[in-house]
Amino acid sequence: MNKKIVVGISGGVDSSVAALLLAEQGYDVECIFMKNWEDEDGEVCTSADDYNDALQVCNILGLPIHSVNFSKEYWDKVFTYFLSEYKAGRTPNPDVLCNREIKFKAFLEYAMKLGSKHIATGHYAKIDCINSQYRLLKGKDKNKDQSYFLYLLSQEPLSKSKFPLGDLEKEDVRHIAKKAGLPTANKKDSTGICFVGEKNFKQFLEKYLPANPGEIISTDERKVGTHSGLMYYTIGQRKGLGIGGGYSDNNDPWYVVEKDMKKNKLIVCQGKDNPSLYSSKIIVTQLHWITNIIPNEKQELAAKIRYRQKDQACTIELIKNKSAIVSFNKPIFAAAAGQSIVFYKNEECLGGGIIEPYVN
Amino acid sequence: MLYFDHSATTPIDQTVQSLMSDLNQNLYGNPSSVYASGRKAKHAVEIARKQFADAINCQPNEIIFTGGGSEANNIVLWNMIHKKRKHVITSSIEHPAILLVLKELESLGVKHTIVPVDTNGYVNPDDIKENITSDTGLITIMMANNEVGTIEPIQEIADIANKHDILFHSDAIQVLGKLPLDVKRIDIDMMSFSAHKFYGPKGVGALFIKSGVIIKPMIIGGSQEKNIRAGTENVSGIAGLGLAAEIASNFEKENFSHLLELENYFKELIIDKHNDITFNGFDNNKLPGLVNLTIPNIPSDLLLINLDNDGISISNGSACSSGTISPSPVLKAMGLSDKSNLESVRISAGKYNTMDEVNKLVDSIHSSIVTIRKNT
Repeated sequence: MNKKIVVGISGGVDSSVAALLLAEQGYDVECIFMKNWEDEDGEVCTSADDYNDALQVCNILGLPIHSVNFSKEYWDKVFTYFLSEYKAGRTPNPDVLCNREIKFKAFLEYAMKLGSKHIATGHYAKIDCINSQYRLLKGKDKNKDQSYFLYLLSQEPLSKSKFPLGDLEKEDVRHIAKKAGLPTANKKDSTGICFVGEKNFKQFLEKYLPANPGEIISTDERKVGTHSGLMYYTIGQRKGLGIGGGYSDNNDPWYVVEKDMKKNKLIVCQGKDNPSLYSSKIIVTQLHWITNIIPNEKQELAAKIRYRQKDQACTIELIKNKSAIVSFNKPIFAAAAGQSIVFYKNEECLGGGIIEPYVN
Repeated sequence: MLYFDHSATTPIDQTVQSLMSDLNQNLYGNPSSVYASGRKAKHAVEIARKQFADAINCQPNEIIFTGGGSEANNIVLWNMIHKKRKHVITSSIEHPAILLVLKELESLGVKHTIVPVDTNGYVNPDDIKENITSDTGLITIMMANNEVGTIEPIQEIADIANKHDILFHSDAIQVLGKLPLDVKRIDIDMMSFSAHKFYGPKGVGALFIKSGVIIKPMIIGGSQEKNIRAGTENVSGIAGLGLAAEIASNFEKENFSHLLELENYFKELIIDKHNDITFNGFDNNKLPGLVNLTIPNIPSDLLLINLDNDGISISNGSACSSGTISPSPVLKAMGLSDKSNLESVRISAGKYNTMDEVNKLVDSIHSSIVTIRKNT
């Protein structure tokens, strides 16, 4: 009998090709479509369309597919956290948590119940195993590398997961899909947070959190406008501030520097080079190391404070067990509290943590 | 492949299939055309109308053909916007093609009351009586439920409706070929049917409209089906429906005993292996061959995947458009907890199933239960 593997399939091109490749490699592939979000009445959601695409792909490939509802787990473990972080004025990354709690936990457990020992997804990342230590590595396609979103995985899920796209470029993946006649071959990459989809993020958030409008203040303490609720803004944000002429010293655009939650004020500055937008040190909490090995403090590491950011050279200084001060060789732009910072050593993703505001 | 989901749909009867293939190939005329091939096509449609009318004991001119059972239900309900009395009484275990339509119609001035059911999914006629107002223009209660098989007190409700001069419609989509059907004797105003539930083709249904009951056009643009549903007739589909109804009605008694035998055999075998299993709904007064059961601590989605991997088709809950399972509103209305609801599956046997297939079904359910218990 073939080796059984359960593939998480989303109706996109990446997971379609992941399933295809594993089937070609002789695995006994079973696909699961994860439904993580319940649509409200009357609202058109893309999940039905996505399921249809996934179904078509599986029919073409001759693979069984079933749909499983993880929306309760998603709500409890991901969405409530997401909301509480937004409420606190921070910028959480739900996809990071979704990977740890849903795809590599609830889904993994489900696959085990179906008698499978392994799962696979269409992530652009690699796993290797040296001296029985599982390591997470960047995907070959540096533009698509998704290790950033996977830094919260630990040894057990890594030991049971496969990323068939790790050694492929996105272009190759689309080519494989096209050659196999998959309807997802030219499907647009999904953007934004999965449960919000293509909807207006502000309108989405409005439904869950009451907005509290207030003043926009410049770093030199002039009132320059009004904001519609601090939760709608992110550090480093440029668009949508609605600061008109008259306040500006020059033509430089305005940027969000800080959110003063206590006074309900949005602090802004002008010009992308403005020093108040840059930090040379940040505090990181909730640190997680994939191989459980804490890197040496003197060692130069690379870090990303957002997805697809270029590696930033840094060193870390541990404060407590799970917190550290990170010093960057070059100050970094717009470190937003609540976002994930992920550490690398060359190709290896070491782990990461959550950015906290640094008070000098 | 073992198919035990006949409440979802049935395989097509070979005689019906042959007739349809023949018509598709040889009878391409438009029934509205006046030349020979058109007249022949028209004749095929009218033969089907007679066959169907005979199967439920009404006149052929009391039948209109539709694009399925849901469409038949929709025609009845959407007509309420034209009626003077716009209040509708229905039950909590109706098909979404009733309940969701009524929800949609609220904003158009059609109000409705949903009467509850007991733990067997049975509607109490007194509840209907109590909810009648001077504005009540329609009662719609299904003849037998699609998830648990409960047969509703249609005769009593018809008597109540007639006494109060209220239109009475029943969704009888699950019934034809399993129970005797006589619309005259019930004295009902409207009844919905779907061909693919009785070994006919998909996408064809019928609506019985008692002579004298006025139904306004639903699809406009041609005089077909008494102006109610415009569009060139699905000739082979309608012919298939007519023949399937004739066969179903001729063999109704045989089918009933066959399905009941399979049902009893299944229950006996499964209880013998797992005595913690409970059956939802009535033991009697239900559609034969349909069993809804709860298996404690076995999530139905896991069981279904396991059975599917064995090539066995049964169903659970109500599948949504993204393929996942939500708790069944029918079982919920019957008072089942969400946990038990999500541990419930429906097995519905059909005329081609055999005792040996029941053996295999039970073996597969049993080994799935063992596997699931082992892996959790």
